[in-house]
Amino acid sequence: MAKPEPVNAHPHIPQSAVALPKVETHIEGLDTVLHGGLPAGRTTLIWGGPGCGKTILALECLYRSALAGEPSILVAFEEPVGKVRQNTLTLGWDLAPLEAAGKFLLIDGVPDPAGILSGDFNLHALLAIIGGQAQRLGTRRLALDAVDALTSLLPDPGRERAELSALHHWLRDQQLTTVLTMKIAQDSAFPARYAFLDYLVDCVIHLDQRSALQVSTRRLQVLKYRGSGFHRNEYPYIIAEDGLHLLPVSSVALVQRSLGETVSSGNGALDALLGGGYRRGTCLLIPGAPGTGKTTLASVVAQAAAARGERVLFLAFEESAETIVSSMLSPGIDLQPALQGDTLRFLTAMPEATGAEEHLFHVLRAMAAFSPQLLVVDALSSSLRMGSEQAAFDYDLRLLTACKERGITCLFTSQLVRGEPEAAVAGLGGANLASLVDTLVLLRFVERQGTLHRTLLVWKARGMAHSPACHEFRITDDGIEVLGVYDGDCSKLPGNASAPPHE
Amino acid sequence: MGNVHAAPTSGERYVLWLFVAGDEVNSHQARENLARLCERCLDAPCEITIYDVFEAFQPALDNRVLVTPTLIRVSPPPRVTILGNLSDTAKVVAALRCGGGER
Repeated sequence: MAKPEPVNAHPHIPQSAVALPKVETHIEGLDTVLHGGLPAGRTTLIWGGPGCGKTILALECLYRSALAGEPSILVAFEEPVGKVRQNTLTLGWDLAPLEAAGKFLLIDGVPDPAGILSGDFNLHALLAIIGGQAQRLGTRRLALDAVDALTSLLPDPGRERAELSALHHWLRDQQLTTVLTMKIAQDSAFPARYAFLDYLVDCVIHLDQRSALQVSTRRLQVLKYRGSGFHRNEYPYIIAEDGLHLLPVSSVALVQRSLGETVSSGNGALDALLGGGYRRGTCLLIPGAPGTGKTTLASVVAQAAAARGERVLFLAFEESAETIVSSMLSPGIDLQPALQGDTLRFLTAMPEATGAEEHLFHVLRAMAAFSPQLLVVDALSSSLRMGSEQAAFDYDLRLLTACKERGITCLFTSQLVRGEPEAAVAGLGGANLASLVDTLVLLRFVERQGTLHRTLLVWKARGMAHSPACHEFRITDDGIEVLGVYDGDCSKLPGNASAPPHE
Repeated sequence: MGNVHAAPTSGERYVLWLFVAGDEVNSHQARENLARLCERCLDAPCEITIYDVFEAFQPALDNRVLVTPTLIRVSPPPRVTILGNLSDTAKVVAALRCGGGER
């Protein structure tokens, strides 16, 4: 049986009083939302419309259990067994060796379409089969996929309720950790016919697929979990080519690692302005209007990090990797050695191509595969083009917290439309995000007496004795050349309502 | 949908398998209904085998029987499956006599 997992849903209640044995699903993010996993020896109901991934979720729970050595049984009431096997192969899961080793059993439960109904019936045969096979394999994990395909054949809803009730109690007596999936039509609320299940089962998970601003999103929500705390919100999930991935925000448990050692940005003069450089594990934001030099500055930092032997992941939304590498040659930044040495990797994406969840999934997966010390995103503001503003904010926050949790330094550029400097900080979706940014370097153009000047202002650099002054700089053949303090009045720049604050 | 007349020819008989769950209500009714039906409505002898899922689950598994009672007409072919306590006698008889029936 699963070992008991302490659940601290109510910190003022002693842990021993609320401990409920749980079974991990091993599905990314889901165990966090469930505060450990599914209730052991109890029934969990997963309901949702067609195509939302109920069968995949149920299958994945079982598959991962089986991989961990726990014999598992799936009874498929709607999809033929051959199709189930085919689907798992597409996901890269090979059931055959598990079946051969007696760790996985697929039972065909599809009612005969040519079958004739004459009178009332019970599910005893099903229970006898499950009971017999479970005993033979030593199984404690079961999934009944689309069981309503069978129970809907019963003469009336009253009988269906009675049989499902009997099934539930039998499963509980057998101490089987069961996942039940039911097909519920997309646009109906949980129909009255099955509402009683809500009261019966111990855990209810709802999967939803909807369109928002022409982008399809999937959301998972735990509606009920008897005897346990759980994360109550809706969480986006994706069905990737290897299974289900849930993307919970962990902002409540945000791990604020202590500021790391100070390293060079790659430009000595800039380091001086920053108060020595930037600290590992922190977040740098470089907002600026187009053309102000954000990508150039980001590339300087990236190259310096790569030269130190750090792994750099460069997420580019605006240009292709080739364009960036070749255009950076002109200011004397050669990214090619780092690319060839695999200390620098590019991940390019078109923001409009998929939803924010999929983008996030891809970058998190690239981060997991590469374990970079530095993540550069050019430009983070592109997340606004992934869907709604809320989706953009979610994306930014999740990416930022993911970096903070792993101690990865992140450098985000942000495309600014002409506006107040405060908007640069607020532009990432509000005060929440602003407080997570440790260093902010604002790049602006200033026109004075017919000449365009580039300026750089360290708006904030947490924990560092940075220069509060606005400096002029140039982009030369040898990179960024920081000049003196801009002798114009920075506070009177167009769109600038107030002087920068000092930290 | 072809209604092939598949009742047994002389010398042949119906081979029927009835899956039950002990002596619970529906299973009990099915046994009674089947006996009566065979005696009165079918014009050929019936060979009935009773499989109790409470005693062994393997026959049910082998024949994809998930509910009780389930009646399977094994012979004459093709195979016909009937779910339920057989209370709708007319339907059952029609299904058994023909090469497949309506739901």
